[in-house]
Amino acid sequence: MNERTAQPGLLLVQRFAAIAILLGAWQVAIASGTLPSMLPGVGEILQSVFATIVSPTFWSTLGRTLAAALAGWAIASVVGVVMGLLIGSVRAFDRSTAVLIDFGRSFPVLALMPVVIMLLGANTLMQVVVVALSCLWPILVQTIDGTRRQEAAVADTVAVYQIPTMLRFRRVLLPSALPFIVTGVRIAASISLLVAVGVEVISQVPGVGRGITLMQQAQQWDVAFAYLFFTGLTGWALALLLQRAEDRMLKWKRQNND
Amino acid sequence: MTSTVLTKTPAPGPQKSYRPPPRSDGGAARKLLQSTWLIVVAVVAWWFLSAQSTNFFIPSLQEILTVLWRDLTNGVILSGALYSLTNLIVGLLVATVMGVGLGLVLGETERLRLIVDPVIHFFRSVPQAALVPMIIGVFGMGQGPKMGTIAFACMWPVLLNTVDGVLGVDPTVRKFSRVYRIPALLHFRRVVLPAALPQIVAGVRVALPIGITVMVVSEMFASVEGLGYYILNSSATFKVPETWAGALLVGVIGYLLSVLFKFAERRLLRWYYASGA
Repeated sequence: MNERTAQPGLLLVQRFAAIAILLGAWQVAIASGTLPSMLPGVGEILQSVFATIVSPTFWSTLGRTLAAALAGWAIASVVGVVMGLLIGSVRAFDRSTAVLIDFGRSFPVLALMPVVIMLLGANTLMQVVVVALSCLWPILVQTIDGTRRQEAAVADTVAVYQIPTMLRFRRVLLPSALPFIVTGVRIAASISLLVAVGVEVISQVPGVGRGITLMQQAQQWDVAFAYLFFTGLTGWALALLLQRAEDRMLKWKRQNND
Repeated sequence: MTSTVLTKTPAPGPQKSYRPPPRSDGGAARKLLQSTWLIVVAVVAWWFLSAQSTNFFIPSLQEILTVLWRDLTNGVILSGALYSLTNLIVGLLVATVMGVGLGLVLGETERLRLIVDPVIHFFRSVPQAALVPMIIGVFGMGQGPKMGTIAFACMWPVLLNTVDGVLGVDPTVRKFSRVYRIPALLHFRRVVLPAALPQIVAGVRVALPIGITVMVVSEMFASVEGLGYYILNSSATFKVPETWAGALLVGVIGYLLSVLFKFAERRLLRWYYASGA
């Protein structure tokens, strides 16, 4: 959709220039005292970034966070899709649960974390539960939305031919709701990382959020920034990967729409 | 890698969920009953099941509500809620102004958009909660840093959606604006902004729950005020019913805010829904 007339080499140079300008602004802000002097300069941050690449401690903490986020996300996906299909396909369920689901989706689950800690303790299981509770809602809401959106002609056809329930679920409901489900699952993935890190920041659960907090409290600002940098990169990679997967999975859908 | 342009929609557009045509059978009363019975059942079940609870960490609902009422009326929670909501609203406002401003500029200038694309995608991918210890660590525990954290976290969805909305402006309208030599500011204000508004509002809707989450995290991380502090402090001193009450209240506030937002959205975009676009 955007015609690229300029040569790609120039764009790359300009992108690097933009990043250089940002880093330069950071350096100037620290040197001039606009930002507190305890913040590390660009050189120190870069050094720590390279040191962090070969630090096994960092990668294992990041791994812990990712594992917890992934586990919660997977649980929420299964539960959300099954419940969503059920609720979306029976109108009585849909009406009865609407307010409850509206309440649940706007509930900031992290506020519930101290309660979950009291029940389960400050451990990885608690983290997974909080992540799953946060991820459930977008998936559930999207699945219900997608299931509800049956074309009248299709619904009539299913009724006339007396398609058995299970077959209807598998071959009619699921495919037509799939684009919505996939979007919900993708939104939930970024939430899972946010919540997993959030749990670590405000509790004692080990992981990259905890790592950043500890480094910051130990005044090792450069290391904290390096951790933050790689956490951002991970989030970016995750988002890109899921977007690709969604585009590929829903190719048939997009072509239909054109 | 370089093909990631700021055109991927991070959020679904304005909600226009399909409502099946209302059936004539059954009156409004039946509808009300149908949509509320489950909540009543849930609350009643919670009430009676928790009444017999012997677990220290699961207080009875009656106890939770009593405590909630006590702290609401003596002002403990109210001042905390005021503190939290001020942070949230100021942060969200700053995020909206900055996101829309930057988004309009980036949406209109393709070259600039392509250049800063990786930077923006990086910043919006940083899990917002990880910023809390950094920003509060640098700037202290005051109210300003918390607002700043919320603003920074909420800015990205608004920014990305604004860019999307600007790109979606009808090319014909754009050509007309150019042919009539509409001045740049007027063009922004009267042509681009209204056309992008539905997307912008959708972006703010996505930013709202992020803002509430960051608000709670920032107060649980380091604060002596606010709802997050109330919850964490209660749990740290083993005031179990208070902890539950605080969490419940934050949930209710989150729900009320989203209802309020939906209402405002419908008013603000009335022309958009009316046009049936």
